[in-house]
Amino acid sequence: MSKSNPRQLRPAIFTSSLILIAFCWLFVGSTGFAGPPSKFERSYTPQGSAHLTISNVNGRIRVTSWDKRTVSVRADAAPSVSIEDRVAGDDITVSVKRNFRLSRADFEVFLPAESSLLLRNVIGNIEVQGVTGHISVNSIDSDIRLLKVNSPSIDVKVTSGDIYFDGELREGGSYSFQSMRGDLDVTLPGSTPFNLNARALSENINLGGFLSNLTGTSRGTKGVSGNYLKGGSRLTLTTYDGRILLHKK
Amino acid sequence: MMVCENCQELISDYIDGSLELGEQVQIERHLADCEPCRAVRDDLLQIVHFSHQLPLHAPSGALWTRIEGEVAQQRGHWFRSLPWLTWLRTRHFNLSLPQMAATAAAIVIAVSTVVLFARQERPAPQNAATGAAALGGLDVNPLSSSDFQQIEKQISQLSESVEQRKVEWDPELRSAFERNLLYVDQCLAECRHQLSDNPADYVSQELMLNAYREKVRLLEGFDNF
Repeated sequence: MSKSNPRQLRPAIFTSSLILIAFCWLFVGSTGFAGPPSKFERSYTPQGSAHLTISNVNGRIRVTSWDKRTVSVRADAAPSVSIEDRVAGDDITVSVKRNFRLSRADFEVFLPAESSLLLRNVIGNIEVQGVTGHISVNSIDSDIRLLKVNSPSIDVKVTSGDIYFDGELREGGSYSFQSMRGDLDVTLPGSTPFNLNARALSENINLGGFLSNLTGTSRGTKGVSGNYLKGGSRLTLTTYDGRILLHKK
Repeated sequence: MMVCENCQELISDYIDGSLELGEQVQIERHLADCEPCRAVRDDLLQIVHFSHQLPLHAPSGALWTRIEGEVAQQRGHWFRSLPWLTWLRTRHFNLSLPQMAATAAAIVIAVSTVVLFARQERPAPQNAATGAAALGGLDVNPLSSSDFQQIEKQISQLSESVEQRKVEWDPELRSAFERNLLYVDQCLAECRHQLSDNPADYVSQELMLNAYREKVRLLEGFDNF
């Protein structure tokens, strides 16, 4: 039985260690692990109604109204993500700096109900709850949910993703929901008057209980227009590859 | 070709969404190339945005009374400026039954003639176009192929810029872009197909124009990565 020489063993151990370190480095790199997530946390106190703009790239945005006068913005982000904020009077802008990656940042926002919102995103679901100010959502690949909102105007545009709205329309308001590939699911109180302009290239429009009271109706294969309870606010629904579903609350 | 002066005259209506589709396209085309007009548009958008936040104030009763007085005064002035109308208003007509019948017949003949001429002058719309235009409740000139060509030109410039940037993106970002671009292109292809079957279909034209705008929005969204 031959005994190993420690001098011969040393280079072998060194080489093995190097291989192990390289392997760990590759593994860590491939899983995208690059340190602990970074946190962004700010609180703003506007003098009047806040106009909040969140410009995200990849990640969830959840906005909820509360009864405080402050606007609270929190984000959990990947370490590579840089988040900047800017305040000018009642205008608050929080933006994720864009680079060549889809680095993730999840936003949680609490604000006074009457605040106006402008939300931008590439990927990541968006949910707004209880807001009564103007809402504008501009996204590429997201499901959008607007719950218990009572805004004077809403404009939602998404390339692929469903849009779900459960709220109220104000007289004279303008409400536009558009998805290229996704369903538009809108729930309204039966007592809300509106002028409807629904377009679905897929020819899939279901007006539910609203159909029977729709006057001045013109119905083509791809669209329906008409006034519900003599009309009031403007409701424009457009989808290409998806359904338009209207429900009475 | 639209110049800045025309663009700025129409830009307020453009923001209100009250322009016809052809005019909208011309404005958008001009805005794509004109920084000063874009600045005007952005300023107006900001004003509109902030004006929505302003509290509503109802005018006082006294103000309404003053306005009513002014209007009554103006109306009196207008009547006075048209002597034949004043003559007609102050004149008392005593017509016999045959005279009244003859007058009524003359009015009916005159109105029918005007209506008949108006109908003959208007070209008969195609069946499909009638349904489509009625659907929108709008009387909009269909977009010319040159309008679409202009939007396609804008898209091609943006696509070129995005293609150059795309090589540096990580695979996830590239995949998100390509997937969504494919969806938009599929919608455009479907609109084109439907328009080739029925070129006068207003709804398909509207959807196609909207899909083009969506493609511009998508490309602009990825142009700053």
